Amino acid sequence: MIKHHPDDNLLIEFSAGTLAFGQSIAVSSHLHFCHHCQQRVERLNHVGASLLTDVESVPVSDDLLDSVMAQLDAPTPKRKPAAPSNQKMPRVIDKILSKQGKAKWEFLTPSLDMARLHTGQQQFEVALHRIKAGGSVAQHDHRGTEITLVLDGSFSDENGIYNEGDFLVRDAGQVHRPLASRDAPCICLSVVAAPVRMTGPFMRLLNPFLSFKPL
Amino acid sequence: MMAIKISQAHPLGASPDTRHTRRRSTVTEALQRDDTWSLALNRIAQDRCRKSFAAFFQHFSPLLKGFLMKGSRLNAAQAEELVQEVMIKVWGRAEQFDSTKSSATTWLYTIARNSRIDWLRRQSNAQTEELVADDLYEDESAETPFTQLQHARNEQTVVDALASLPDEQALVLKKVYMESKSHSEVSTELGLPLGTVKSRVRLALKKLQDVVGREACA
Ligand SMILES: [Zn+2]
Repeated sequence: MIKHHPDDNLLIEFSAGTLAFGQSIAVSSHLHFCHHCQQRVERLNHVGASLLTDVESVPVSDDLLDSVMAQLDAPTPKRKPAAPSNQKMPRVIDKILSKQGKAKWEFLTPSLDMARLHTGQQQFEVALHRIKAGGSVAQHDHRGTEITLVLDGSFSDENGIYNEGDFLVRDAGQVHRPLASRDAPCICLSVVAAPVRMTGPFMRLLNPFLSFKPL
Repeated sequence: MMAIKISQAHPLGASPDTRHTRRRSTVTEALQRDDTWSLALNRIAQDRCRKSFAAFFQHFSPLLKGFLMKGSRLNAAQAEELVQEVMIKVWGRAEQFDSTKSSATTWLYTIARNSRIDWLRRQSNAQTEELVADDLYEDESAETPFTQLQHARNEQTVVDALASLPDEQALVLKKVYMESKSHSEVSTELGLPLGTVKSRVRLALKKLQDVVGREACA
């Protein structure tokens, strides 16, 4: 049961197409799990469509139709839905992984691995995090907003337990210490605006996120 | 086939929606209007009908151009470039249009939105070969197909509700959807705190969604 959803503003920006591309990947992935939010986005798309039909129209050039007509016979690349290799994963994640080969896990700490995702944009660091069963991530805070989406398994922190599909936003400065459930590893999608740093003197050395960008 | 669907979905007159006589007529108009374009898309898909395509183009291109030019993101030439791209996609993907899942205008809106996202990304030198907007907006829903009627109804009620929004709310909403501005860009432009922009957008949408929700259950 999904308990944590993107808030209205995120979904509005997603539907309007103004949400940063990196963050849109997280929202899109949440929709894969969440029928409720799919419907919310559908309703928001109606708003966009209504604004489109309501706008003051601007006449197009006389020759535009001919120009388009002349291009209709050119074979258009068919958008074939990529055969999902893993139905459980959001399709967008599947597509990213199939483009870059498979996930290349990097060792960060004994209980945490990370695989970067290549998404064609630099504004956000998009990565998969895998916490070993029962493992915990060093307490850290964020310099920028971090979105976490649980893709597989579950984890908990001071505030609660998060299961598949749960969508969490941590603002800069919020400190937390995620802990994977005992029985299974937890895989999360993480989208971070700026580098993350560990709190605590030793943790700084272990900062798994340092590899992104040195402080 | 469409005609059958419509007539099945047409007990609108018999629906409990007798409170708003005016609403009923605008909904029926919207239904007919949208049905025209759904039918056009079906003919484009099945018969590769250029006449239907030309009609679709002539109706929607000026709206698309206006939509894309609103704000200062795209000039006239850029907007037309994008209109062409969108219309060629309409021709190429018409067979994917499913009138039980979406209305013609919502379908077109999503194509235009995605094309605009990728266009803006190309302008900022993002690597669009890695991933395109269509990858983020895969149609995974479809568990609860809406009828043609519900779509037209929803859209018309949204249009009505839009007109009834306070100006300040309508303004931020239009900036977000039509000018493709993020909340923080709108806040900078209007000199309003980000929180104010967010709450206005949220209030506006809440009002619209309340109306849509009410209609959908009516
Ligand atoms: Zn949700």
